[in-house]
Amino acid sequence: MSADYADGETSEVNLVTAVRDTLAQEMRRDENVRLLGYDMGPIGGVFRATEDLYEEFGEDRVIDTPLSENGILGAAAGMAMRGQRVVPEIQFLGFFYPAFGQFMYTISKMHERSGGAFEMPLTVRIPYGGGIKSSEYHSESTESFFVHTPGVRVVCPSTPAETKGLLAASIRSDDPVMFLEPKAVYRTGTQEVPEAEYTLPLDESRTVREGSDVTVLTWGAMVRHAETAADQVDADVEILDLRTLSPLPVDAVLDSVKKTGRCVVFHEARRTLGLGAELSALVNEYAIDHLKAPIKRATGYDVHFPSHQTEEAYLPDEQRAAHAIEAVTSYEY
Amino acid sequence: MAKWTESRPDEDFSRVLAPDGTLSGEAPVDEATALRMYETMKLSRRYDEKMLSLQRRGEISILSRSWGEEAIPVGSAAALEAGDWCFPTYRQTPSKLYWGGPLDRAVAGLMGHEPETIEEHLPLDEADEPAVNFSPIYIPLAANVTNAVGSAMADKFEDGNTVTLSYIGDGSTSQGDFYEALNFAGVFDAPAVTICHNNQWAISVPSHRQTAADTFAQKAEAAGMPHERVDGNDVFAVYAATQRAVERARSGEGPTLLECVTYRVDDHNTADDAGAYRDESEQEFWAERDPVDRLEAYLRSEDALDDEAIEAIEADADERVEEAVDRARDVPEDDPERIFDNHLQSESWNERHQREELRAEQRGENPFTDFTGDGL
Repeated sequence: MSADYADGETSEVNLVTAVRDTLAQEMRRDENVRLLGYDMGPIGGVFRATEDLYEEFGEDRVIDTPLSENGILGAAAGMAMRGQRVVPEIQFLGFFYPAFGQFMYTISKMHERSGGAFEMPLTVRIPYGGGIKSSEYHSESTESFFVHTPGVRVVCPSTPAETKGLLAASIRSDDPVMFLEPKAVYRTGTQEVPEAEYTLPLDESRTVREGSDVTVLTWGAMVRHAETAADQVDADVEILDLRTLSPLPVDAVLDSVKKTGRCVVFHEARRTLGLGAELSALVNEYAIDHLKAPIKRATGYDVHFPSHQTEEAYLPDEQRAAHAIEAVTSYEY
Repeated sequence: MAKWTESRPDEDFSRVLAPDGTLSGEAPVDEATALRMYETMKLSRRYDEKMLSLQRRGEISILSRSWGEEAIPVGSAAALEAGDWCFPTYRQTPSKLYWGGPLDRAVAGLMGHEPETIEEHLPLDEADEPAVNFSPIYIPLAANVTNAVGSAMADKFEDGNTVTLSYIGDGSTSQGDFYEALNFAGVFDAPAVTICHNNQWAISVPSHRQTAADTFAQKAEAAGMPHERVDGNDVFAVYAATQRAVERARSGEGPTLLECVTYRVDDHNTADDAGAYRDESEQEFWAERDPVDRLEAYLRSEDALDDEAIEAIEADADERVEEAVDRARDVPEDDPERIFDNHLQSESWNERHQREELRAEQRGENPFTDFTGDGL
């Protein structure tokens, strides 16, 4: 979609700074917005995503909690039930497992089980993904767990400007949002981001580039590799950055594949029952007549996220994307 | 293994009303409140009785009753004030009944209606809403306690003046959520009162299999939180302890854990058979400590109740329950599309298409005929 938010003054920021600036903006705008997590106070988070916010807003709005993911989400849920607009942080996606109880029991379900009587306006911020050579459980890309759960939105930006609009929209949404931040690209580049407030829709993809030969469906940290791959291959590549993983922007996916007739799903997560499986199934169910080649999934492997020495071999990159694109564009029935 | 203190239940908790209804010290509530407690317990018992008969007839599927444990939800709820919050599980229906919660909605819920259908067909005027705020009843164990602490934290951060009460069973104190909740409550000085219904059984597992600690109350020690241990069959003792905890919370002195020692007279639920794992003599022991009989004996001794008044209270409870059941039976069958209600705030492609598929299926048509994504 076009950058209709690009009016007015801009400043050049990276993705993690866009997170920080948006949190500050939303906290100034609405006093019910509170952040909740550990290490987010004086040090401003291990990735500095909440830098200076503790000083500006104080300990009752940037709340350093005990080291307890389930406690953070459970307390956040109770605060949200009382009309607070809570933005809990889980430090790494691999630390989310203890929080699954509250995630499944209350956050995803309270609105539905109360017949709409209780809102759950919280945005769980979670850095995800590999490529930073960290220790185990610091590099997970398990968004499918969330996508498989009804009653929550799953959002994943890929650029600073998208981050601002999507995070602001998530915080203002009355739905619970799992906001996955691609930490591998937190500081890899900057972009002019409008200083004025703006939001982006929570159910629309972004067409990164238009093309006629093949559609690449991707999101988060993989978008940049898809772009590099598109420059390298001998094909006119259309790239959709899904941005919102649940609910999926199905119309945009089908429209693109019907136009190009070929499709590659390019994601960092493990392949089996990764989101690529669902996207492939959707295209198969609703656009098979348009397909000129089988859909390929260029993804991580079905293994635990590996150690430093081998993580590059695991992680999808522009070469893996290019190979998948070349395979489906050269395929003939 | 530590000797379980329930082997000496008369020795180590606070009590106001003895099992024979005699009072030690002063009654903590006035006569009108004591009568309201009594009426609520009688109403709850009639409700439990009626629901069991509906379950046996197949009108409701499964039921967990409050029978024999009513002093805990009633005594504690009575210590709350208008505007306070309460996060109950499935065994504290009497809390809501004490505050005038609608019986017909409770029955309709047990009949398996979707909440939207209940809202539509059993509407409730704002004026009839209970003055204490109740969350939906929680089924997952201990999840409510963590949310209740979040609710209390919200009050704390907003400089509010309300208190949040939640309930947990003895078995549920083995859940991580319970420790996480208490820990947060302690760290943030949250105005949260947590009440452990120690009814000594988590389905078939006895309380000494839940913990090697001497008491459940002492689990609060690890969270730096005051705690008390109370006779859970003594509605006055439960009230007095809760009242102290509520006052502490309201005046900014933070959370409290109360352990109310009682006994699950009944099966865990209607799918359970306690006879398979319990000794009947235990039940006899606890039957002599019944909370309703105890309060009744006291109120009789005060001349606040006589046979005629009790008969009138029973007749009133009977009538209210029967009327509620009739109203609940009149709720029409749920529209199948209700299953799609209240997931997200706007419609998604998948929701739209799956609704269409369900409709087609309901009409006896084939829902698998969309090959373009344009709809059926």
